[in-house]
Amino acid sequence: MIQFKALLIKELKEAFRDKRALMVALSMALLMPVMIMVMSKFAIDKAIDNPPIYVKFTGAEFAPKLIKAFKDDNILAFADVPEDERRNWNERNVELTIPETFGKDMLDGKTIDVQLRADFQEKSLMSPLRRIKDVVRDYSLTIGYKRLLVRGIDVRLLRAVNIQEQDTSMPTSNAVMISLMLGIYLMMAAFMSGMPVSIDSSAGERERNVLEMLLCQPVSTLKIVLAKLFCSSTISVISIILMLVLTSISVGFVDLTKIGATFDISGFTFIALLLLLIPICILASSLQLFFSFQAKSFKEAQSTVTMLIMVPSFVPMAMMLMDDKPAWTEWAPISGQSLIMEDLFKGLPVDWTALAFTGVATLAIATALVFGLAQKLKSEKVVMSLS
Amino acid sequence: MIEVHNLHKSFKAKKESVKALDGLSFQANDGEITGILGPNGAGKTTCLRTLYGLLKPDDGYAVIDGIQVAEEPLKARAQLGIFPDKFGLYERLTAYEQIDYFASLHGMHGDNKHQAIEQIVKNLGMEDLAHRKTAGFSQGQRMKVTLAQALVHQPKNFVLDEPTRGLDVMSTRILRNHLALSKEQGHCILFSSHVMQEVAALCDRVIIVADGKLAAQGTPQELCDLANEKNLEEAFVKLIGSDEGVAA
Repeated sequence: MIQFKALLIKELKEAFRDKRALMVALSMALLMPVMIMVMSKFAIDKAIDNPPIYVKFTGAEFAPKLIKAFKDDNILAFADVPEDERRNWNERNVELTIPETFGKDMLDGKTIDVQLRADFQEKSLMSPLRRIKDVVRDYSLTIGYKRLLVRGIDVRLLRAVNIQEQDTSMPTSNAVMISLMLGIYLMMAAFMSGMPVSIDSSAGERERNVLEMLLCQPVSTLKIVLAKLFCSSTISVISIILMLVLTSISVGFVDLTKIGATFDISGFTFIALLLLLIPICILASSLQLFFSFQAKSFKEAQSTVTMLIMVPSFVPMAMMLMDDKPAWTEWAPISGQSLIMEDLFKGLPVDWTALAFTGVATLAIATALVFGLAQKLKSEKVVMSLS
Repeated sequence: MIEVHNLHKSFKAKKESVKALDGLSFQANDGEITGILGPNGAGKTTCLRTLYGLLKPDDGYAVIDGIQVAEEPLKARAQLGIFPDKFGLYERLTAYEQIDYFASLHGMHGDNKHQAIEQIVKNLGMEDLAHRKTAGFSQGQRMKVTLAQALVHQPKNFVLDEPTRGLDVMSTRILRNHLALSKEQGHCILFSSHVMQEVAALCDRVIIVADGKLAAQGTPQELCDLANEKNLEEAFVKLIGSDEGVAA
């Protein structure tokens, strides 16, 4: 116990005194909340705003009432575009052609073809084009209804079936974008935060020639590995806690009520998230140590470990994209946790059996890695590569 | 006491096999300073690493105070104070913290540990270094810290691989006095060096290793007599049978 305590204290001292590595380790936790705040603010502005659209009308004079309807929805003529936006809208080049015969065809009750010409694949035009089409459809419907009304027909006849929507999602899941991002970032933080510390305490120590000294001491390699594991997973856990706290604070600066959503991390969610993520931090640290102890240099460790660690951190992203998830994904490490996390953010009840099972499975893999590494450190191959 | 019996060790690199130790045997007694000499590549480091239990011999065995190294490496290491060939420092720790760390790894704790640290710091004359972080230490200062952490737990046996390289005259004298004192107290000291005058002045017995084998052993005077030379350096060159030891 004296030995383990000494090993652990030394690892923690070294980790916390290396300010630069510590900053890199915690940078994710510090930056992500800011990013989440900025991005959600941007997205909300976009969702509730009705920015002006500038359209190159041809034949506007033939349909003054349609033009008025456009104007009411902030869809304006290209001639009115302010100087600073002229270039943009000229490039987007949205054209609407109203035929000369508009007035006459309207009187005759014929269908009038209004031509909308634009690049329909252009992302920035998605919402403007939808709005233009909505205005035309609404205008067309209003005229149609009026025509029926004057002929003494109830317009409700046009609606044979009406659909009533009942949303079963919880109020918190409205903030789905924030929780989606937070989920992915939390997983990434759990995976990446301990990395600088893991590499420094393994490949770094080998490069600084202190590993041989340590291996010559009467200490079991298992204790050495466990102390290093404990230290680097502590850093990841700190990173996650920091991220959760900072996100809670920073989301407070965004007015989510504008889109009718609420987001807060309750004490229960916080604890459940920690229960989910701590095994992942331990698994990640053991993976990092396992591979960086085998690297020949600090640099090699950095590149290989970064590559290897990226793979599991993409699992949650893949889970989000997968629509039909096979049953085993609920129980397997990483994918299981990311699914439970998704439920948690949606406000659904937590499946405690699945949580316990994935946790145990994750820890089992970590344990196997630790024992494997402790065994490897006893091998001559490791000693020979010291010089 | 350190004993090495008929050690054999070869390393395989791809298809080639290099024989590092070829039946090396020797003994370092308690209350004596035993010098181990040999040209570069003679097998000294391999032999010492076998003693630490880092390498397993293909044949033969090493015994420290009656403990078989290959069977109980942790127990054997506990009897050793090691100053290795390659060493580094934890640059984010102070000298005192490093010595403290190694003392704890040897199971020391409480007042006992603190007294031992204070004592070794005083013995090696490094009071002014003790509470500084080791980053930026000179070679000599680094050597002192490494020596202190090797000796803090007052091991029965010392294995020192070129402990005087890079030390200034004053520090070398301090170390010599420390070793002489430890010898008086009955410690077993195995000491490797390339400085012949130092070996001649300090060692009670000298072991000469060449090509993984024992080339000769005896007191410095006995070796000189054996080679029929006046000084140890000439005797050494003659006994290993080549001139390469001079360059080492």
